[in-house]
Amino acid sequence: MGNNHFTALKDVNLTFGKGEFAGLVGPSGSGKTTLLNIIGSLDTPSEGTAVVLGQSISKLNPRQAAKLRKENLGFIFQSYNLLAVHTVFENVEFPLLLLKYSASERKKMVMDALEWVGLTDKVKSKPPQLSGGECQRVAIARAMVKKPTLVLADEPTANLDAANSHKILQTMEKLNNELKTSFVFATHDEKVIKYLKRKIFLLDGKVDHEEWANNKN
Amino acid sequence: MKIAFKLAYRNLIGAGLRTWLNVIVLSFSFVVIIWLKGLMVGWDHQAKNDMSQWQIGQGQYWHNSYEPYDPFALNDSHAPIPDMFEEQIKAGEMVPMLYAQGSIYPEGRMKSIKISGIPADQTLLKIPSASLDTVVEAIPAIVGASMAHSSHLEKGSRFVMRWRDSKGTFDAAEVEIVDVFSTTVAQIDMGQVWIPLDVMQQKLLMPGEASVFSFGEISEKPAQLENFKLKSFSELTAEVDEMIKMKSSGQSVFYIILILLAMLAIFDTQVLSIFRRQKEIGTYVALGYTRREVVGLFTIEGAMHAVLAAVVAAIYGVPFFIWQAKSGFTLPMDTSEFGMTIAPTMYPVYSMGLIVSTVLIVFLTTLVVSYWPSRRIAKMNPTEALRGKIQ
Repeated sequence: MGNNHFTALKDVNLTFGKGEFAGLVGPSGSGKTTLLNIIGSLDTPSEGTAVVLGQSISKLNPRQAAKLRKENLGFIFQSYNLLAVHTVFENVEFPLLLLKYSASERKKMVMDALEWVGLTDKVKSKPPQLSGGECQRVAIARAMVKKPTLVLADEPTANLDAANSHKILQTMEKLNNELKTSFVFATHDEKVIKYLKRKIFLLDGKVDHEEWANNKN
Repeated sequence: MKIAFKLAYRNLIGAGLRTWLNVIVLSFSFVVIIWLKGLMVGWDHQAKNDMSQWQIGQGQYWHNSYEPYDPFALNDSHAPIPDMFEEQIKAGEMVPMLYAQGSIYPEGRMKSIKISGIPADQTLLKIPSASLDTVVEAIPAIVGASMAHSSHLEKGSRFVMRWRDSKGTFDAAEVEIVDVFSTTVAQIDMGQVWIPLDVMQQKLLMPGEASVFSFGEISEKPAQLENFKLKSFSELTAEVDEMIKMKSSGQSVFYIILILLAMLAIFDTQVLSIFRRQKEIGTYVALGYTRREVVGLFTIEGAMHAVLAAVVAAIYGVPFFIWQAKSGFTLPMDTSEFGMTIAPTMYPVYSMGLIVSTVLIVFLTTLVVSYWPSRRIAKMNPTEALRGKIQ
């Protein structure tokens, strides 16, 4: 209350290129999620600028920010954030509804996305009927169905066992390779870190160091 | 907008029992309000129809001094029947009636009454005046069921009736009840004894005179004659309108309570939804909705309760309305002494305007109640909503 002020991120200067498979790595409270939210235009920096796909996040009004998210960004959350009363098909279809695709286009795109994640047999199921791994695969399909330029994944494997985590990560890696979609993760999970091509280590809101999978520093 | 409706529908149906409980409560409001309002309209129709058939026809001419609620004016409210009415009376299109104050002594008790004279051969009004054409030793008379009940009279009862003639002389004669009729029109029943017009004119020394004329479909209706003034149908039934308006106002309290109950359920659902569905709200924003659009979605979702309620109400309400319109609603009490035109069984009448206005009122109220708590979403921080951390 009152004058309490918390600095989540400080002196962060990063650039992500097209088709990256990068991760913000760090312990809890290091600022990974805050940075991911800023990139996702869900939050704005109190100082400095964040430019996403050529648009300055601080200068976007709510409608423009929503348009950026709707057309170019995909989100994957730790707790899946699926719409519980909707079927798998409807959950994946949701971003396409917002983009006003026709029913036939939506059907084809949703089925393609579910094929990528291997869930074509679950179209009529609802999230409570699915396992954690299946839920996260639905969330990936929902994030990928519109073929966004950038997917932001916040601790996507935190609620999954090792086998499911690998399956999910392999799926995302495959989509990154095939569709050239950029992925930015926020994670402290070793399983995820192993898959990352670029690792950005955050500590107390600052970039501590970076590592590239092909030894690029 | 179309998407919002689609989503709202999916969310509502997906919410299952909670939705249906709200919908059932709201649909109950629809049905009860429409039924009660229909009953009021039905009462209005019945009262006016009965008044027309039993008392006023399509309108009346009143003697200039006649005032139905002033018994002291009765004895001065008479004048010769105007010549221009003679033909219409002969054709059965008009009925002259003569009124005077009097008293009766059934079983030795005195009771003030209004003596009403009506031609025995009239057929315009439903008053069974033909019974007055009975030859008995006393003056033949008919009374309404309420009058008979309150004065302990029945067919065959004989009692003394006293009056004052036009010269101011008191006179009395024995009267015999030849018929007791049942009517919903209290104004021709309570405190009245009907005798043949010619007998009354003779006994009261008022030959060829009358106080009031009821008429049917007549072409010429001058507004004012020398001794009589025109009273239109709407003037004569204005009291019914007033009475129904008053009753309707009283019923409005009941409607408000009903709607409030339904709205409370929806308001509660909306408030709970906003707290329980924070992650969902955050997800909508993350997927490309603005917060205002989410407010819109939740408002539509709440308001859609009214749409579903209308559908559910139609499913069980329409058969109920049809059954009621045919069988009517019988009041669980004796209505004969209410002092107003009310049938023991009332038949609701539903108009399109009644249904549309009720649906609109309930829908708009639901819309407001749905929007009110949803406004909170516009102030939510989406990142905190995503984590479900807003208290």
